[in-house]
Amino acid sequence: MTLTLELETCGGGAVRSGFMHYLDVTLILAQKDFKLRYRNSVLGFFWSLLNPLAYMIVLTIVYMMLMRVNIPNFAAWVLIGLLIWRFFTVGTSQGLICIVSNPSLVTKVYMPRYLIVLSSSLANLLGAVLEFAIFIPLLILLGVIPGVVLLFLPVIILLEFLIVFGCSLSLAPLNAKYRDFSQIWEVVLQLGFFLCPIVYDEQLVPARFRFAYSLNPISRLMESARDIFLHQQLPTTFDIGIVCIAVTILILIGAAIFHLLEPKLAEEL
Amino acid sequence: MPELLEVRDVWKRFKIPHERRTTVLDHIAGAASVIGGARHSYEEFWALREVNLALRAQESVGLIGPNGSGKSTLLKLIAHVMKPDKGKVVVNGSLAPVLELGIGFSGDLTVRENAIVYGVIMGISRAQMRDRLHLILEFAGLERFQDALLRNLSTGMQVRLAFSIAVETDADIFLVDEALSVGDQAFQEKCLERFREFKRQGKSIVLVSHDMQLIKTFCESALYLQSGTEKAYGPSEEITQKYIEASQGPANSNR
Repeated sequence: MTLTLELETCGGGAVRSGFMHYLDVTLILAQKDFKLRYRNSVLGFFWSLLNPLAYMIVLTIVYMMLMRVNIPNFAAWVLIGLLIWRFFTVGTSQGLICIVSNPSLVTKVYMPRYLIVLSSSLANLLGAVLEFAIFIPLLILLGVIPGVVLLFLPVIILLEFLIVFGCSLSLAPLNAKYRDFSQIWEVVLQLGFFLCPIVYDEQLVPARFRFAYSLNPISRLMESARDIFLHQQLPTTFDIGIVCIAVTILILIGAAIFHLLEPKLAEEL
Repeated sequence: MPELLEVRDVWKRFKIPHERRTTVLDHIAGAASVIGGARHSYEEFWALREVNLALRAQESVGLIGPNGSGKSTLLKLIAHVMKPDKGKVVVNGSLAPVLELGIGFSGDLTVRENAIVYGVIMGISRAQMRDRLHLILEFAGLERFQDALLRNLSTGMQVRLAFSIAVETDADIFLVDEALSVGDQAFQEKCLERFREFKRQGKSIVLVSHDMQLIKTFCESALYLQSGTEKAYGPSEEITQKYIEASQGPANSNR
């Protein structure tokens, strides 16, 4: 008997089962996602910088010159909001399609399918980190004073990553089952743009709606990032608390939906 | 000694969306009613019923039967990609992913990048993959094209790449679904040689094929499926003969 059975891989699965294999798979898929996004374009990653830059310029012109909004350092203020918003929209939009656009990962080989979602979110985390890193010099140029509180920025980006991952866990299998989810999500994101303090100050929201309004975790992340960059302050406990509660709820809901829909995924693709 | 692979009384059901449209008018009405919130009824379709299979270590099995008889579905259940509605699939060893056409590369990545991604998915570590990459590309005969985008390769070349990566994995059981029929003669011969080597190493192959000669060469036993049920199961020699007779019978009598 020359054949030794690998007992730790009982019940099927890939050859080198276990944590290291799954880590390798997640990282290689994230890397592939990231590469694919910027393949076949001359400017590559720099395209993703053009979008927030163009928005910032247009919004600054419209709001500062035409509407005479009274927010100090408006350009930097709006850019920070945009960067947070972009991580959320791009991250969840790609999380939404990550299973549908990689059917072979579901139908050809068995691996825990949440790794596909995780790798998509990780690819977007990398994108967001690079975007922030590249725009920080511009923010400084716009008058932002870099302080020690900047060290808190990774925490904010990490929390947003968890929000993106939690949403994607729900959206990816739902979109595999009901393909209209991509249309629905597009509308949700369009509404979301105006439900977040990207182009207006939160203080303009009428007082009786203010509390409900302030429960939006993306708004809290925007305000937190602005505290760090514009006021050299740590985010408030309220802001971080809301975000942490939202992260927990979103990941729990995402895990439940994913768990429910995962067994039939191969048949939906 | 437990079986390497055991499929015990497995049933698999698919739901087929079903709209009753018999006349042209029905079709038009049906199209209209879809817009106006149609009722969808489903037809149940049993892709597999009461299927059993047992495979001891070092043995291989062939799955044969006409198109749509449930061979690929069974392979997917063995691969744990789908779950049976009833019954159990037990695997006491490691599985290589299902090898079939269109394994799912990304056309926009290069041959080398695709090879690494799929090697890692198939269970080879990234470090090992870097070491073995040249072997894989050499086996596939694609060294010259390693920096070409995959979409510029022909289907046959893509299958060669997929196959070459898969045979580098150290699985106990290989699941092969018609993958061999695409490569050219020389590559097929290379693959068969690799299969013989697997057999010598005591690895098992679950082979879906319409090539009875291939089944007889590599598999000790064969399962003949028809409309999702077992028609015959036993030594490959005998079962392939049955299948050949069954498929020739009606054709001959028609003439």
